[in-house]
Amino acid sequence: MNKIDEKFKKLKGKGEKALIAYFTAGLPSTKGTVEIIRKAEKSGVDIVEIGIPFSDPIADGPIIQYASHISLEKGTNTDTVFEICRELGKSINIPYLLMTYYNPVYRYGIEKFSKRCAQTGVSGIIIPDLPFEESKDVREALKKQNVYLINLLTPFTPEKRAKKIIKASSGFIYFITSAGVTGPREKFSKEMWDKLKIVQEISSIPVASGFGISDAEQVKRLREYVDGVIIGSFFVKKIIDGKIEELWKEIREIKKALVGEN
Amino acid sequence: MKLPDRYGKYGVFGGRFAPETLIPALEELERGYKSISKDKSFREELSYLLSEYAGRPTPLYLAENFSKVIGCKVYLKREDLAFTGAHKINNTLGQVLLAKKMGKKRIIAETGAGQHGVATATASALFGMECCVYMGEVDCERQKLNVYRMKLLGSDVISVKSGSRTLKDAINEAMRDWIANFAYTHYVIGSVVGPHPYPQIVRDFQSVIGVETKRQILKKEKRLPDYLIACVGGGSNSIGLFYPFYKNKGVRFIGVEAGGKGINTSKNAATLCRGDKGALHGSFSYILQDRYGQINQTHSVSAGLDYPGVGPEHAFYKETGRAEYTYATDNDALDGFHILSETEGIIPALESAHAIGWVIKNRKQFKKDDIVVVCLSGRGDKDVAEVASIEGVL
Ligand SMILES: Cc1ncc(COP(=O)(O)O)c(C=O)c1O
Repeated sequence: MNKIDEKFKKLKGKGEKALIAYFTAGLPSTKGTVEIIRKAEKSGVDIVEIGIPFSDPIADGPIIQYASHISLEKGTNTDTVFEICRELGKSINIPYLLMTYYNPVYRYGIEKFSKRCAQTGVSGIIIPDLPFEESKDVREALKKQNVYLINLLTPFTPEKRAKKIIKASSGFIYFITSAGVTGPREKFSKEMWDKLKIVQEISSIPVASGFGISDAEQVKRLREYVDGVIIGSFFVKKIIDGKIEELWKEIREIKKALVGEN
Repeated sequence: MKLPDRYGKYGVFGGRFAPETLIPALEELERGYKSISKDKSFREELSYLLSEYAGRPTPLYLAENFSKVIGCKVYLKREDLAFTGAHKINNTLGQVLLAKKMGKKRIIAETGAGQHGVATATASALFGMECCVYMGEVDCERQKLNVYRMKLLGSDVISVKSGSRTLKDAINEAMRDWIANFAYTHYVIGSVVGPHPYPQIVRDFQSVIGVETKRQILKKEKRLPDYLIACVGGGSNSIGLFYPFYKNKGVRFIGVEAGGKGINTSKNAATLCRGDKGALHGSFSYILQDRYGQINQTHSVSAGLDYPGVGPEHAFYKETGRAEYTYATDNDALDGFHILSETEGIIPALESAHAIGWVIKNRKQFKKDDIVVVCLSGRGDKDVAEVASIEGVL
């Protein structure tokens, strides 16, 4: 069984929702990323996404763009990220995923990339610029290694298309809460609520929401409608600003909101 | 065979490597373009504007003095005489009119040197649309006058401070804007790049170059040319010239990329000559990248060619051998810039000067009876200050 499935099953048994945290690999350093993720697990993170930085991250807002830029300047590359993953395999229990753009995966070699994922304990990959229609090669290569390709849906995805994508999905559905790039936002739109409810209804696998989430209040409003929330820019900003203590506090508070009132 | 196919592919190239959020927007654009571009009133309005507003058809000029330098007949397709001084207006008039018919209220665009930005700002002013142009901070500095021109035309210009702060980052930023605002915004891409259907739309609007050339050369020479030669940045002026001759197998296509300081240095933008396959800005094509797939910084004396990607249809032409891709260095282009100015009294854009420079350097390969058409994609007034400063004159 893939560790992502196990995790959601276990959380469901406890009546909890998943906290999925994104961290850019190589920030503040290769070793630092491993330490942050270890501590994030202890503070309540259920699943981690590790970003392989890309020079041209068109789906990302200023915070992750900046983080990617700094990380690349420090010399992070796909192989160093797999090293991070291997270290994590020895020291954490929660599932970890990779998030990157299509070109680094293609360039590494789709088969080779998939194998390295399996060898280093990666449970899934998210590729925001690889829509369903273009994903066949990657999906098949990953499937052979029992690594999941996580698909994204948005408030604007037509229902018919959403159904088609969900049918071919595994792990969980990454539901993007807002139009636009990653980065904190104040409000959710009516379209987002409407589509989220539809997606939750037709999906047989868990649905996690991300893009623009930054505090426990938002999480409380979402809680009832999702199986997990994904938080990236808000956490990465704390690392960029060197406010690591605040990071643990935020993680604990948000996890508390996901556990619920009781 | 139809290019592109129904998946937006040119062989294995092209496609739609774009975030899920943009897929409905791209589908809407594909549908809109399919129905509106067939519409008689759209075609009539565009053709009226191209002639009355933009000054088409542009001449196909037999450059007799320059021909003597080369040793065969050289015709120049005078896109430099199109309104705003380059071929870019062919595309922006088409796309902004399309956006208007699709009910969009706002136009965004990226620009490198500022030519496409100015052409988009111009079309937006004409159609009364709000317009916002993204331009790398480095380019804003290099092309201050074009920034002012766009502002004069009523556009906002946003200086992009991320990444290398040049054209590729301006495209990233324009795409991010589009991802957030596509409901009421149309993104006017400036070359035959981007996710499907952009490479097709831009090619179709630029094909007026080749369609006119064919008619003009048949009238003047009673036969088709032996060579079509054009500079390749993203690849829009070259595809515009080539595509209408695609089936005329006797006509050779030569695309000239920016060789910068040499193609064995890291300072060039010769994507098809030196790049590898990969996906950038929404389509699968050739790109200049490192071994981990990170996109390289590029260099060219001409801002319009300074781009690490290239249109997928060119990748297909390369793969199938339909076109040949080569390069001219900064110095070759500067030679072209001077020699055309001196022999013909025509100052070419530095981009176009790459095609001219390549023809000069390789003149021995042409036979006396050959007919060569070079796309003079733009005029060089915008580059005069830059060249003067490179040569230490100013
Ligand atoms: C005059 C001129 N020619 C050529 C180009 C290169 O673009 P493309 O390869 O799309 O024609 C530009 C781009 O700015 C330009 O301004």
